[in-house]
Amino acid sequence: MAAAERALAKDPAPPLGRRVLSRVLADGLVVAVVLGWWAMAKTLPASVLPTPFEVAEQVWLLLTDKVYLGHTAASIVRVLLSVLLALAIGTVLALLPAGLPWASDIVHRRIQPFLNSFPSIGWAILAVIWFRVSDFTAIFVQVAILIPFCLINISAGLKELDREAIEMARSFTRSRIKVFFKITLPLLLPYLVGALRIAYGVAWKIAIVSELFGTGTGIGYLMGEAQQSAKPALLYACCFAIVLIFFAGEKLVLDPLSRRVRR
Amino acid sequence: MQTPEARTLAGIARNPAVAAHLFTLMALGAWAIAATQVPPIALSGPWTTLKALGAFVTDPNQLAHTAYSLLHVGVAIFISFFAGSALAFLAHYVPVTALMVHGRISPFLNAFSGIGWSLLALLWMGATHTTVIFSISMVLIPFALVNMKEGLATLDRDLMEAGRSFTRSGLKRFAMLTVPSLYPFMFATFRISFGVAWKVALTAELIGGGSGFGYLFDLARQDYRTPILFVVILLIIVFVYVTDRFGFEPMQRRLQRHYGGR
Repeated sequence: MAAAERALAKDPAPPLGRRVLSRVLADGLVVAVVLGWWAMAKTLPASVLPTPFEVAEQVWLLLTDKVYLGHTAASIVRVLLSVLLALAIGTVLALLPAGLPWASDIVHRRIQPFLNSFPSIGWAILAVIWFRVSDFTAIFVQVAILIPFCLINISAGLKELDREAIEMARSFTRSRIKVFFKITLPLLLPYLVGALRIAYGVAWKIAIVSELFGTGTGIGYLMGEAQQSAKPALLYACCFAIVLIFFAGEKLVLDPLSRRVRR
Repeated sequence: MQTPEARTLAGIARNPAVAAHLFTLMALGAWAIAATQVPPIALSGPWTTLKALGAFVTDPNQLAHTAYSLLHVGVAIFISFFAGSALAFLAHYVPVTALMVHGRISPFLNAFSGIGWSLLALLWMGATHTTVIFSISMVLIPFALVNMKEGLATLDRDLMEAGRSFTRSGLKRFAMLTVPSLYPFMFATFRISFGVAWKVALTAELIGGGSGFGYLFDLARQDYRTPILFVVILLIIVFVYVTDRFGFEPMQRRLQRHYGGR
């Protein structure tokens, strides 16, 4: 109680004036950036910096126009599939040493560092050579990039698991499968959601490179097209569309999922 | 004293370290066999890659590209560290800016795609070193910002109070108390940044540069010189692994013992 009071005394709710100023500064920055961008766009050639309106219009097209929407949807589906596949493979790899202790160095000293240090563009180019341009290539590359992020997070979760709870469960049943589904998995859920969140972020941030080389559809492909055919508004729009989709995924799926798991 | 079981081959293989070495040998064997089954364009075998590596490390031109990549990564890590830390300090010491930093700048940078930065930087600055360093830095800044924010949030307030009773100089307190308390987090930032930097450096160099591993990668891709692709990948894997295992890992353990935290 005393500690809580001390903490409260040190972290009192900021006064209204400060809260308003804080919001003005935060939203003011956004407005200032857009205005600064607009002013700069008037002095620079459109091939370097299109106006915010042109970019906003293009973003709208990306999210509504039938052709562009196909590209956007292709990226979303690929990212979702890759994230789920990477999560499944990462979980299996992380759990492997629990069942086969001799495999711990194979997973943590060989597979994890190998996948973790493998350059993303390396996967993209090799996959195109191996599998040609296809949906499978793009998903393969994304999964290969995302696995180490899931593996690291789930392994960290496994280390933090409450051993006593698992031991106690084992005294109730000999069935390892039952213990896994009733005790281990629920305890591991926050880390699985954490891995999901990281993988989702990395997928949009880094793994989208797979579409630049590995497919003929998707936002990554459109970015390459926009750069080659000098359509800067489309390039900017692709960047902002990724930001919007990323936020939508976080707010609509990941945040509610995190809240549910915490409960 | 070894048990009879451990003396058998199966027992030895059950030792995690031995199993890992066996796995490495099996992986190399599988790689060598696979290389004989597919065209050389698709897979460069271990021996061919080793020969290409020998030629690579003795060619001054290739070594110059290696140095450029190291330069790009090194400079970007430092720029992103200082930019991310500056933003984290701003939000910490001027709380009214916290929403601006952590509610607007950080999520935006965190959600912006790495290729996006590379393509935009190419548009703004052309194919230069600045383009590559800028692209890598922009990807790394949110990692530094989030990590330093965590570090500042765990600062020992009692220690800071005690510091105030010893000196009025804010600069002195900052240099002698705040910065050393943040060492584990600074270190973690460098470690994370180092790993991520190599993941994005090649893309940035391939898209926006005329030098570095990424540039070599692009040339090798266009000319179907697969051994060079494998050499570059191998060099990066070895470089990242060795630095992490024998540099960052022991240093982080020492820092943890000394300062606690991560």
